[in-house]
Amino acid sequence: MKRVNKHYNVTGNGNIKKPQGEQESRKKQKLVEIHQALNSDPVDIETLRRAAVSEGGLLTDEIRRKVWPKLLSVNVYDLPAKPGKDARQDHKDFNQVVLDVRRSMRRFPKGMRDDQRGVLQEQLIDIILFILKRNPQLHYYQGYHDIVVTFLLVVGERMAIAMVETLSTHHLRDFMDPTMDSTKHILNYLMPILEQVDPELHDFMQRAEVGTIFALSWLITWYGHVLSDFRHVLRLYDFFLASHPLMAIYFAAVIVLHREKEVKRCDCDMPSIHQLLSQIPQNLPYEELISKAEELLKHYPPTLLEKRAAIQPRKSLTISSFQDFQRARLQQRPDAVLRRQLQERPPAELAAVEDAAAAETSHLVKMAVWGISATLGAAALAVAQTALEWAPEFLLQLF
Amino acid sequence: MLEMESSLELTNSLAASSLPPPRSRIFKIIVIGDSGVGKTCLTYRFCAGRFPDKTEATIGVDFREKIIEIDGEKIKVQLWDTAGQERFRKSMVQHYYRNVHAVVFVYDVTNPTSFQNLPSWIEECRQHSLGSEVPRLLVGNKCDLRESVRVSTDQVQKFADSQSMPLFETSAKNPDDNDHVEAIFMTLAHKLKSQKPLMLSQPAGGENSVQLKPEQKLPGICWC
Repeated sequence: MKRVNKHYNVTGNGNIKKPQGEQESRKKQKLVEIHQALNSDPVDIETLRRAAVSEGGLLTDEIRRKVWPKLLSVNVYDLPAKPGKDARQDHKDFNQVVLDVRRSMRRFPKGMRDDQRGVLQEQLIDIILFILKRNPQLHYYQGYHDIVVTFLLVVGERMAIAMVETLSTHHLRDFMDPTMDSTKHILNYLMPILEQVDPELHDFMQRAEVGTIFALSWLITWYGHVLSDFRHVLRLYDFFLASHPLMAIYFAAVIVLHREKEVKRCDCDMPSIHQLLSQIPQNLPYEELISKAEELLKHYPPTLLEKRAAIQPRKSLTISSFQDFQRARLQQRPDAVLRRQLQERPPAELAAVEDAAAAETSHLVKMAVWGISATLGAAALAVAQTALEWAPEFLLQLF
Repeated sequence: MLEMESSLELTNSLAASSLPPPRSRIFKIIVIGDSGVGKTCLTYRFCAGRFPDKTEATIGVDFREKIIEIDGEKIKVQLWDTAGQERFRKSMVQHYYRNVHAVVFVYDVTNPTSFQNLPSWIEECRQHSLGSEVPRLLVGNKCDLRESVRVSTDQVQKFADSQSMPLFETSAKNPDDNDHVEAIFMTLAHKLKSQKPLMLSQPAGGENSVQLKPEQKLPGICWC
């Protein structure tokens, strides 16, 4: 006799699915923890980190708008000004950036109107060139635009500039060298990771001489270039923002390990395996892989791999800048305090901030942002206001 | 008749034995050139038979394949598509320069810079042992943008001749040129199969040069 319990679903083979109620209450619990962490003084970064890594990540874009800046030590009440018209002038990478952004249609919500998308693409170009101009030691690479667009779509132009600028001088720093040598150095961690976990798979891939180029776009775009579901990209960005800067290459390793059987069924040659792995399945078990990647980094940290695989020591700015980065973000004040500090600024300065914010509220920009919010399902008005960088008092109403 | 019977016998006897079916030969062809000239569109056009509408920046390297048949033999044409930004070509190239049967250099007929950068690409190849002994050809893409053409055929022809490379001008997009893109790669495949050189000529091109072009083409006229 089948027992029917209205709170539980019993599947065909008798397993009990986790009840909807339990998942919901876990989410609510996480929301409470995040809220408390954000309001602590200093902000409880460790709790935010754990929330970003644990099941479901940061759950909604609304929360991401509050937590992502904290993970990157960005004060949302002290953002850079909107790029002026001169942002684009005479920059050596202008043509390449425009070319890449024009071809990035796939990264915008489906069904978004052309003119709305056009507005965002223009902002994307501005953001990239603005950061490059301010940081002449950084060099543009194809794929950087895939990272920037992810931030633009969630937090809007000014917050995206602040956050991407920090990322560019830290996590992405090695990718932005004049050459790809430092990037290759990070890719070189992939095989040693595989060797630790699955020597047979490692040997098979070494014999095939498949190399690591299949994982290049994964690494330098944080998978933004290769995943068709934006939700998955955001889940991974939560994870990577809360992790060691090499986590993206550990995640690459777990993807390969996950597909180990398929790889071994390939012909043992570079084209076969390269093509198999380059085509990333869209239904990966993200939560499982995220846990696995975390475990891998814990058990086989970069320092251990360097010893075991005799990886040539090389100055990595990405790795060397991480310690200071972590230390700095532990000393942030909660938004309530930052807001107050903004209001205490001299009136002239405050007026300038308000003017800058009020400048671009054209109808088209508003509609572009509504386009995002409708498609991403975020709280519409809140998204519109934040992304339009309206005057601080509007921001106050949200937090 | 006799020949055919014996070949049938041969086939039957092969089938009767436990030999695996013979693998198709693979022609590995790499396609290189500046960012945005249309490498992805050309390779896609050849392999899928149509122009792709939403291509993105190619990051790293990947390939598309098409199985063609020449004189009854099935051959796999493997077109390796590459990132165009200079930083990629300088560091990531070893993998796709290996075991290459032919190189296709692509420039954009509306973009003089992409043509001016060809010597760097050619030199890059030479440094990876892909010099004039490897079949190479030159393709000018985006011919369909008639109003915007800024690289004259004469100019390119001189350059191509100096490099002993046959020149094609085409468009991956214009449907009227579908055969054309196909013709370029098919002709290349034919030459590779028969191992005939693409051009029998002195570097300066002269009466001896046998151009890899169909009879109908008149010099200086774009095929679009």
